[in-house]
Amino acid sequence: MTAPAIDVRELRKSYGDVQALDGLSLTVESGEFFGLLGPNGAGKTTFINSLVGLVHADGGTAEVFGFDVEADYREARDRIGLAPQEYNVDRFFPIHEVLEHKAGYHGVPHDVAEERAADALKTVGIWDKRDTRFDWLSGGMKRRFVLARALVSDPDLLILDEPTAGVDVELRRDLWELITDLNDDGTTILLTTHYIEEAERLCDRVAIMNEGNKVEVATPQDLMERGTDTVEVGLESAQTTAPTLDVDGVHGVTVEGDTLLVTAAGGSTLAPAVMRDLESQGYTVTSLDVRRASLEEVFVDLTRAERTQSVETEVAQ
Amino acid sequence: MRSTGFRTLLRREILRYVRRPRNTFLPPVITNLLYFTVFGVVLGARIDLGDVGLQQTGLSPSEAYILFILPGLVVLGMISNAFENASFSIFHGRWNEYIHEVLTSPLSHTEMVLAYVTASALRGVVVGLIIWAIGWLFAPVPLVNPFYLLAFTVVIPVLFAGFGLIGGLWAEDFDYLTVMNQFIIRPLVFFGAVFYPLEALDGIALTVSYFNPMVYMVNGVRYGVVPGAVDVAPDVSLAVLTGLTVAVVAIDVALVRRGYGLVE
Repeated sequence: MTAPAIDVRELRKSYGDVQALDGLSLTVESGEFFGLLGPNGAGKTTFINSLVGLVHADGGTAEVFGFDVEADYREARDRIGLAPQEYNVDRFFPIHEVLEHKAGYHGVPHDVAEERAADALKTVGIWDKRDTRFDWLSGGMKRRFVLARALVSDPDLLILDEPTAGVDVELRRDLWELITDLNDDGTTILLTTHYIEEAERLCDRVAIMNEGNKVEVATPQDLMERGTDTVEVGLESAQTTAPTLDVDGVHGVTVEGDTLLVTAAGGSTLAPAVMRDLESQGYTVTSLDVRRASLEEVFVDLTRAERTQSVETEVAQ
Repeated sequence: MRSTGFRTLLRREILRYVRRPRNTFLPPVITNLLYFTVFGVVLGARIDLGDVGLQQTGLSPSEAYILFILPGLVVLGMISNAFENASFSIFHGRWNEYIHEVLTSPLSHTEMVLAYVTASALRGVVVGLIIWAIGWLFAPVPLVNPFYLLAFTVVIPVLFAGFGLIGGLWAEDFDYLTVMNQFIIRPLVFFGAVFYPLEALDGIALTVSYFNPMVYMVNGVRYGVVPGAVDVAPDVSLAVLTGLTVAVVAIDVALVRRGYGLVE
């Protein structure tokens, strides 16, 4: 049985009073396209840095393909390609040499490293800039380059920390296509992003993180099903007050003229019961539409609920 | 396979300074031409060194003085460049975070340290050779004890490359590097019997000088080219320096393993 690409247990890291990772446990299976969502300061980058050796965890364990990131750091790091959020590129050398060096650090002989560097630059579409130094690349090219650097060691696990932050639509779609192809070829992808659409579109599973811990892990579809849908019910005449519905799962009802907005978990399932209840109360339903919760709404709901719970716990203490 | 990583980092470190000779090799050329011209040619003939083993060489007084100061200037050049290279390379990598390229790679901690230290020591050796060559233009330089000359010119740059690595890890700003080089290393070398023999001192000045490690380094290198008397037995100096070098490199490895200055 293949070891998980990432397996962390009770991972902890604090910076003074700030608990960046608060007992995080998470498993990413080999070959998965896994998304990591969370607000700023949720601990996503600290988690990633603890895998690659840039953060020393205070407690817990972390393994990459079965290799402990502390005890077997060489084996673990050899399997990871990282495209970080912040640029951390060697400015002394033209970019093709930076890639050759990175491949060399991973044990790739110089002649092979030259070929790998060329391939990586062609893959991300900046081969014609190979003799340029990083500082002279445009913003989009810089994003492409850090991806090329992550690819040059031919990693089994590609970690992308907000790879499409601040890039134009065309480049974003190029990057999506590229990393989807890599995942299809067997590379495990760990993606952090603020673009919910990106996670929804690309990821097999997503974890929502908040305040250094995991709030939820599920497929984007599962998460959306847990979200609050809105059932839009069109009535024959405008209403001034919202009717009371005797249907389990309904969170609330509001009126907008001749339309009732019924919020409920699993709106599609509840819609017939809502319609029956309204008709039994004498309303005439003229239209019915279910607006599914977006992953973004689920994300906001979950992180808000987590924050509220934390505040309540603090108050109780 | 793993040694490929070490060789790559070593190559990267060497290329960094070889490709910038105006910043790395030209300054010591200019500085030492000035030293030899002013201290050797202009002032050297007027300086009485006493009995330091140069009387029987048949050199003119200015050539004798140039030969006397040459080892000290070589040591100064080697130390400054080895230290500066290691400290700058580590600190600049930390400052701009591109040292992450190395830290996130499967290099062992020992490989990382040895690559940085070797490259920096090599820069020190190259600068030392340049200074020898410049000295040669001003006075004939005999090889009296080639073993000691070779041993000291290898051990000293390695030692200071090791110190430089610690400095690069410790520094929190570029000012730290300036302070270490200008206010600690350079004064120690200048008071390390570079321009005068220890015999010229007496009392407290002489006693204090014996606590200056540079005295032993300068004397060791001098023993390689100046026939006759030296101030301190070179065997003891070489043994102490070698032991110190091994200890400093071991500390380097321990610090990198701990992630001091590198890992949050």
